[in-house]
Amino acid sequence: MDSIIEVHNLTKVFDPDIRAVADISFNVERGEVFGFLGPNGAGKSTTIKILTTLLRKTGGTAKIDGIDVARDPGAIREIIGYASQDVGVDDDLTGRENLKLQCRFYHVPNGEVESRVDKILKTMDLTEAADRKAGTYSGGMKKRLDLAAALIHEPKLLFLDEPTTGLDPQNRRAVWDYIKSLNQSGMTIFLTTQYMEEADVLADRLCIIDQGRIVAEGTPASLKAEIGADVVQVSLKEDGEPAIRQKAKAAVMGIEGVKEVRDYDETIAVFAQGGSSIVPQLVRALDSAGVTITRLTLAGPSLDDVFLKHTGRKMRTEEAKQPARLPGRSRSRRGR
Amino acid sequence: MLEDSLFAETYAIFGRWMRKTLRQPMFLFFSLVQPIVWFILFTQSFSQISKIPGFAALTGTNSYLTYFSAAVLIQTVISSAMQSGLGLVQDMDSGYLDKMRVAPIRRFSILTGKVMSDGVRIFIQSLIIMILGLALGVTVITGVGGFVLILLIAAAFGVVWSGISMFIALATRNSEATLMISLLTTFPLLFLSTAVMPKPFLPDWVQTVATYNPMSYIADAFHTLIIHGVDWVVLGQAALIIGAIGVVTLAGTTAMFRRAVFR
Repeated sequence: MDSIIEVHNLTKVFDPDIRAVADISFNVERGEVFGFLGPNGAGKSTTIKILTTLLRKTGGTAKIDGIDVARDPGAIREIIGYASQDVGVDDDLTGRENLKLQCRFYHVPNGEVESRVDKILKTMDLTEAADRKAGTYSGGMKKRLDLAAALIHEPKLLFLDEPTTGLDPQNRRAVWDYIKSLNQSGMTIFLTTQYMEEADVLADRLCIIDQGRIVAEGTPASLKAEIGADVVQVSLKEDGEPAIRQKAKAAVMGIEGVKEVRDYDETIAVFAQGGSSIVPQLVRALDSAGVTITRLTLAGPSLDDVFLKHTGRKMRTEEAKQPARLPGRSRSRRGR
Repeated sequence: MLEDSLFAETYAIFGRWMRKTLRQPMFLFFSLVQPIVWFILFTQSFSQISKIPGFAALTGTNSYLTYFSAAVLIQTVISSAMQSGLGLVQDMDSGYLDKMRVAPIRRFSILTGKVMSDGVRIFIQSLIIMILGLALGVTVITGVGGFVLILLIAAAFGVVWSGISMFIALATRNSEATLMISLLTTFPLLFLSTAVMPKPFLPDWVQTVATYNPMSYIADAFHTLIIHGVDWVVLGQAALIIGAIGVVTLAGTTAMFRRAVFR
């Protein structure tokens, strides 16, 4: 039991009376990647800003490495790194100058500045662009520069506020790989994200936060196990005509092991125990009910389902906006 | 030099702003366009003012260009000082201010480094305008020493005046508002001072305003150094005025800055 972040009953109220964070508690253990998952406006950034000493809390306590954020913010700033959602890079300076300046902000000894900057430029694959103005960088490069700046003083705890928001899939994957390697080198990482997939890939443990409250906490696997069901998504020939759909749902509900049937866009989603063994029964039941299946996919429960279960709403992200997408990824595409 | 001294921190922030400023020569030049136009066109159009009886006796010069150079210099300083807040707005918008706030540097050095760089910027812009003045035929009676003193007064006045722009920037967090409010609140003061016209030439009510207008005292200091010679009483008054404005604007800016930084 060795927590690097301890948060108890943390509350933040903005004037006039907006409870951005309402009475949340959680711990982050040394060496883990801890995810804070939630939609826009859930309170993720507010929490991270309190923990990084950028914002004052209204109530509760928050300790970083045993130090109270309200009591000694200066000591906390020495040991944490923070990459904000908006890239805090000076466009008029070159990448190298940005990092050198960052060294000054963290009181890196003069003799070490050059070597440290060179090293991190190389790690972040920015050596070639180092002497160009940051304003000429692509979005992905800026994000890497910003991350490099957050790491220049070799913090033991790194805060990442939506590290991949706005990045294309290729850059997103590169950032994920880098976060993983940082963690493997022993750094504790606290990250917020609104992407289910990101939390699933990166986080050892996570909290799901919605409207300022923590609605679920655990490992991605345990949270998904709570759902206790696989999800079979069925597309019908008549393409969601209500009567047909009702008929199909009625037929499916009778099958043993089916826990719930829900409309999902133009399809129906069947939550069932032991998904793969239920597929044949499902097909037979629909067949005898006279409903024609055009497509059927089976997936394990996803964090989307977890969010849905705990909040009663779908999380609105770019990913969830794609039409007719199953609440979860098909098994063949699962990364782990 | 200790890496975590206030000096080292301020110097790092100062260096950042100087780099940014010098890397945008157009920005440096932009605020000089209007003073340059004034210098060349106004002094041509109004050159006959110096022929008005009493002008030479009151001012000590028979060249309106020489007299008006103080006004152009003050205008340069004001428009230069007005830009000071813009960098802060940019830093608040881009997230760079948070980047500095999350680092273990003194909050105060973020401000001192910025103010110092503004002083140097205003000094450079004043230098350019004064060199242009010399090229147009202005003579500075106090020589090189007086010339340097003029620039130092300009920079000092600029720094304290830039507090207005920074105050508005920190309060509104908006570039347009910062420029507009600074422009509207400070610019009319120039015309209600002795910078453009000797006091007896001004209408009665403007004379009254000019008496209480800090810019009159700055203009008088410039006039003295350009036309008459060193007059410590006039220079002392200017120094007091600058000090007084400084107390007000820097206290206001510091208060607003604290609000922006200690949230």
